Amino acid sequence: MGTEDGGDAAFCPKDAEIETWMAKAFDMARDALENGEVPVGCLMVYKGQVVGKGRNEVNETKNATRHAEMVALDQVLDWCRRSNLDVRSVCEQTALYVTVEPCVMCAAALRLLNIPAVVYGCRNERFGGCGSVLDVSSADLPQTGTTFKCVSGHRAEEAVEMLKAFYKQENPNAPKPKTRKD
Amino acid sequence: MEPQMKRWKGSVCDADSLVAYPVLSDEQSQDVELVEAYAAPIVNKKETSRLIRELHGLYPLNGLQHIKRVRACKGKGSPHPLEVLVCRISDAPDMKVASIDSLLPSDRVNHDGLGEPFVVKVPTRPPLTRPQFELASRHWPTSFHEDKQVTVALRGELFSSHQKAMMHMYMMTALTAANAGKELGMEAVGAVVVDPVLERIIAVGHDCRGAHPLHHAVMVCIDLVARSQGGGYYSFDSYTACKFTPANSNMCEGDSQPYICTGYDLYVTREPCVMCAMALVHSRIGRVFYGSASADGALGTKFKVHAQKDLNHHFEVYKGVLCKQCDHLDILDHSIRKESSDGRE
Repeated sequence: MGTEDGGDAAFCPKDAEIETWMAKAFDMARDALENGEVPVGCLMVYKGQVVGKGRNEVNETKNATRHAEMVALDQVLDWCRRSNLDVRSVCEQTALYVTVEPCVMCAAALRLLNIPAVVYGCRNERFGGCGSVLDVSSADLPQTGTTFKCVSGHRAEEAVEMLKAFYKQENPNAPKPKTRKD
Repeated sequence: MEPQMKRWKGSVCDADSLVAYPVLSDEQSQDVELVEAYAAPIVNKKETSRLIRELHGLYPLNGLQHIKRVRACKGKGSPHPLEVLVCRISDAPDMKVASIDSLLPSDRVNHDGLGEPFVVKVPTRPPLTRPQFELASRHWPTSFHEDKQVTVALRGELFSSHQKAMMHMYMMTALTAANAGKELGMEAVGAVVVDPVLERIIAVGHDCRGAHPLHHAVMVCIDLVARSQGGGYYSFDSYTACKFTPANSNMCEGDSQPYICTGYDLYVTREPCVMCAMALVHSRIGRVFYGSASADGALGTKFKVHAQKDLNHHFEVYKGVLCKQCDHLDILDHSIRKESSDGRE
């Protein structure tokens, strides 16, 4: 694939790669659902190797930013450190495979780390940062890393079904919703 | 965290001059948009209620529910006491010259008591703030459901002198943290999370992205708040200026357990980026106060994440708090960065 803006050829996962890695991401999501956790599967792949994967860790850390993608990004940074490789040059060739569209925060974090490509299953109507609520992936934000390419819709219905099954249960940690809306 | 309080007591006296501008949603801050419409004088006041009823049947003014159908003519010289809105020009049938006969078929609206139509401009949207209401009312009267707090905030009268003194102290604490981070080679950004009811600092953090590219001051503070509640993922113990107050020290029986940043305020020297702004939504922060705007800022400059439709949590944002000191921090930071990168080349 060529690029219009010059430089290196655009980094984009091939169909076979998408099939393989998304299958793994869906396995992770199903595992999470069976354990009563947010059914999101997420992994980061660099040169055919998984360098980070994550699941939502919000409840145990009491830190609402510990989304699966943030956990996976931390692992990528650790992996670079252990492998003695430059973070930027690794990230620039790393793709994220995730069952649900990353939220606005995660999309911005992916930009800040210069991740070039994100493959996701279903849209995230509540928080999505790749077009559903805001389009952080392609917005003009020169001080927020680089834009990234999205490949969406892979096994989307399956991803939605898992989320629906999860949200039927209640989050026991969330405060009781107030009756009056502000 | 008493020391900061004492340290800045000297400057609390000028806290009365502290400003905090509310960052309102686009809908609240946009100009008044107008649309042309036909109005007509009511020459016989007794016909008013019948005319309103019949006009409403013919031209219900869908989408203009905020518009008052009738206005009083204040000018003493006016020959008629009232004027009534007939319809938007776009609702009217095609006609060469606008007349009551062409606008109102006499079998639908009895013309008794009505004068000849003329063109007016009416506001297309309901006013959300007092300034919008005042501008809109110059054209045609509208209803207005006033948010008193917004009105007071826009007047700059929302905070008492005591509150301003506290805000001053909190932002000074954030500035101190920013400087501590800068000394370690981080970007000069500092943040403080406060429980405004107990008037207690919960966490103080500064930018740590030298060690981790996503450890912006706000992200650091969010994890420190988690630490204060017995959670947290990272350790910032090696940064002496990053600290937290355990939530349970000082809690009375019956106090509800704190839940992430619910009810807390954040003070940050620079407008948060998209990542940090959305992290604050996820953390259900109460209010955010910042000093300087930033180019990619997401609480006013590029986005207004705090007022973004579709999101499940919204919060108030105030900017310009100690902006001179905060701007100075940014300017210094940029010049140092420029110098060091120039030096490298």
